[in-house]
Amino acid sequence: MRKFLSSPAFWRGAVSIVVFLVLWEIGARSKTWMAPEFFAPFKELLGAMGFKKDYLPWIGAVPAPSGVLEAWLAVLGQPGYWQSWYMSLFRVMGGFLAAMLIGIPFGLMLAVSRAAHGIGFPVFEVLRPIPPLAWVPASIIFWPTQELAIIFITFLGAFYTIVINVLGGARSIDVRYFQAAQSMGSSNWDIFRRVILPGTLPSIVVGSAVGMGITWEVVVAAEMISGGGSQQAGVGGGLGFFIWNSYVGGSYEQIVVGMISIGIAGFLSSELLRWGGRYATPWLKLR
Amino acid sequence: MSRGQISIQDVVKVYDPEGAAVMAVDHCSLDIEAGEICMIVGPSGCGKTTLLNAIAGFHDITSGRIVMDGEVLCSDEKRMSTPGPDRIVVFQNGALFPWKSNLENVIFGPVMQGKLGRRQALEKGRAMMSDAGLSGVEHNYPGEVSSGMRRRVEIVRALMNEPKALLLDEPYRALDSLTKSVMHEALLEIYYKNKVTIFFITHDLEEAIFLGHRVAIMTTRPCKPKKVLNVDIPHPRDYGVLTSKRFRELIEETNEAVHEEALKAFQAGEKEG
Amino acid sequence: MAAAIPVGAADGAVAALRESTPFGDASPGLLARIAAIARAARYPAGARVYGAGDDADDIFVVVSGRVDHVFTPEVGARDPLKRMTRGGVFGWAGLLLGQTKRLATVTATEPTEVLRIDTEALVALLESQPLDGGRVRERFVGMIQREFTVPALLAQVRRLSGPLTEEMSTLSLTMYRLSLWLKSPRPYLMVIGFALFLGFWYLAVELWKLPRFREMPGLTSVVKEWISPNPTYGLSLYTGEYYQHIIVSVWRVAKAFLLATLLGVAFGLLLGWSRAFKEYVFPVFEMLRPIPILAWVPLAIVMFIATESAVVYLAFLASFFATALNTMLGVESIDESYIRAANCLGANRRQVFRHVIIPGALPFIFTGLQISIGVSWFSLVAAEMVSGQYGLGYVINTSYMMVRYPTIIIGMVTLGIVGYVTSAMVRIAGDYMMEWRVRELALAER
Repeated sequence: MRKFLSSPAFWRGAVSIVVFLVLWEIGARSKTWMAPEFFAPFKELLGAMGFKKDYLPWIGAVPAPSGVLEAWLAVLGQPGYWQSWYMSLFRVMGGFLAAMLIGIPFGLMLAVSRAAHGIGFPVFEVLRPIPPLAWVPASIIFWPTQELAIIFITFLGAFYTIVINVLGGARSIDVRYFQAAQSMGSSNWDIFRRVILPGTLPSIVVGSAVGMGITWEVVVAAEMISGGGSQQAGVGGGLGFFIWNSYVGGSYEQIVVGMISIGIAGFLSSELLRWGGRYATPWLKLR
Repeated sequence: MSRGQISIQDVVKVYDPEGAAVMAVDHCSLDIEAGEICMIVGPSGCGKTTLLNAIAGFHDITSGRIVMDGEVLCSDEKRMSTPGPDRIVVFQNGALFPWKSNLENVIFGPVMQGKLGRRQALEKGRAMMSDAGLSGVEHNYPGEVSSGMRRRVEIVRALMNEPKALLLDEPYRALDSLTKSVMHEALLEIYYKNKVTIFFITHDLEEAIFLGHRVAIMTTRPCKPKKVLNVDIPHPRDYGVLTSKRFRELIEETNEAVHEEALKAFQAGEKEG
Repeated sequence: MAAAIPVGAADGAVAALRESTPFGDASPGLLARIAAIARAARYPAGARVYGAGDDADDIFVVVSGRVDHVFTPEVGARDPLKRMTRGGVFGWAGLLLGQTKRLATVTATEPTEVLRIDTEALVALLESQPLDGGRVRERFVGMIQREFTVPALLAQVRRLSGPLTEEMSTLSLTMYRLSLWLKSPRPYLMVIGFALFLGFWYLAVELWKLPRFREMPGLTSVVKEWISPNPTYGLSLYTGEYYQHIIVSVWRVAKAFLLATLLGVAFGLLLGWSRAFKEYVFPVFEMLRPIPILAWVPLAIVMFIATESAVVYLAFLASFFATALNTMLGVESIDESYIRAANCLGANRRQVFRHVIIPGALPFIFTGLQISIGVSWFSLVAAEMVSGQYGLGYVINTSYMMVRYPTIIIGMVTLGIVGYVTSAMVRIAGDYMMEWRVRELALAER
């Protein structure tokens, strides 16, 4: 650990992060330091190019890191914030678990049976390009509660990825493992349990980690759309709704707080999965 | 004026993964004469590839010196030599660029170095491939031809640059014995036409004695030459040599030394290098 | 003791030819003509069919029984002995350039029945059917390479002369694979799959009126709306507005994707190639990446004055991260040996980058691009649903709000089709640029 802290890699990364934050702060505060007369011609130029005159384009409208930090500290004490975390997590878990429970057997079935693959895969491939969020209205119509509707969308997001990864993993199992098992007199069920399942496990882990990332994307959007974007007085909640609400309410610093919070949540859950995966597949030495 | 004379002088290589100093090469000294085929035999993981990598310039050494034709490749002051077309490596699993055709691969060296114009390079490449019995596959990609053929293309690619030495790292390891014997004769044929120094690593004693002028048997890790054998069977050789009396005698002489080291490696649980 | 095949036995001959590697895929017409020039022959157990050095006149196809086929040592086969039963093909030495004598000795170990086909007549026949014949020739080559362990002879297989038969181009390889697919059960299973899916949809919503499903737009109402010249809700294949929405969405994705590809690939190449660059920049990159793209929506609206730019920015961002990451992984996964070989051969750093790194990373880059375009659509739709006028996401959202349910499905289906087409375009571009990979995979019959 000490070696890492003193390595050039660490310091270079640290320097970049600091530089990034500094530039962000300066850019975000451009409204203030561009106020004096000195900048008038520059402001005219900005106006001529089609941008707002009073601050730097794009970055000037963004809240500054110092403001964000302040807002964050304030929000940490509010129960509403933590409830948002809880709600989003609940939806993510629900959708993700459903995706695993349905996706893994489905993927394995497609991998193992040629007939099933011929029947199921084309339909799967045709539905896959439809973005999960396009399903939101249909989902809301179909499911009785909004919770279920959102969980269904998150389920879709992760489902496709998991199935694809399971398929890929099963296909790439070295054929010699099958041959070895058969020559030792294993039944089909045995082969499934002891060759296919463990052989596919690494891909399942990878697929889950990626699927988890997608699930967060979808949750946020679904929350924004169903709880915020459409003018439905919905039972909002969740971090996506938190962000949208902050936007509507005009507290831009909180928007960024929400963004970073979700980023952290997503990162943590992916890491947890990867860690769990390493535990389940100890024979894989990660390069 | 010697061409391709390599002198390995008291080379030491210590790896340091996470603080556990592992000595791969232990004060190894070996003189390879210009134009000779020098075979390096040793059990898996003993450090012979490390030696090759040091000569080629892929790894640095901890101490010692490697000199080629009087020029210092690496030493205590300059621990890593620079890879170059004077000593070209033929890799264990092959390193033909899969995205270039065989002919494009073959002309890569001279064209990159600017030594030949493209048209001349193509002509020379075709000629050399034809010499090696490879005409007809110039425009195929390496992935489309057999691995034996790929090896030969790789050797032609190296020879196009008129190197002083060829460094081969168990190139025929993945081939079965019948293809191997054909490959050996092909290699010798190529050698007789282009007298380069050949530094050839293998774990196959028969391969070593069949091909080499001299065979250096290395100890298990850390490696140094345990016994250097002079193979006095005259060149040019053909597969008839394999059943000759002298061949069998040489195998007997060296078998024990090799077996001893192999046993040590086995007991130490060496992973394949 | 060869006799012409009696008329009724021609089917048997065709059946035996079908089981052989070279002829297994040929069209029935070609097979019938080959059977017509073939002659049947019988050998008792222990009989020698021919010896090495004999004239190489006929090609043999085993109909029943068993033969031992032994190459002479000069041939250099990996496994000189090959046993063949029904469907085995031997005696093809005559197909090799300049080869007129047998390369092997063949003995029947059981009573054996064969088809003998005159080599020259076969060649003439194959030349008369360029595409089909070319395929048969390719299968001979493949058989010689894989089943007979004599790769050295590969290069000597005679080329068929004639207008259309050159070396199998990538196009004909693709056509060949397509024809193989059409002959397998796969297309029919596919139809069954779709029938099941659409059937269930129709039954659940319109016929049986299952709970929950009742509310959904039914298959017939969607289809009727879609193909109606005068749609109730204003959008169908006949309305200009429909295509307007499609074009708007596609154009936005195109802008986002192209920009993201240019910047992402360049960025990713740098990240993979220069360790210093990666150490400086990657931590910031990895900090921003976990933030879901759609969490950027409000910020993007704030940042960009026009919603159009905001929407494109979001799609761009998603694409950029995916492309850059995959490109970086692609560069990092290039086998060290290739770089070392290039160094040995005298290439300088710039040359290694151009000739090794970029082609080597290309497969990964294209996988990344396929992911990236999917992600691009994903983000675009979401962005359009939240804020925008025009576009397919907008259509879906407003259709929902205005209770025009069939149009929702039309929007979804259109999205699926357009998404698939753009993704396929990326994949085809990749196949075109990486011909070497297509051929490698085709020969391995993946």
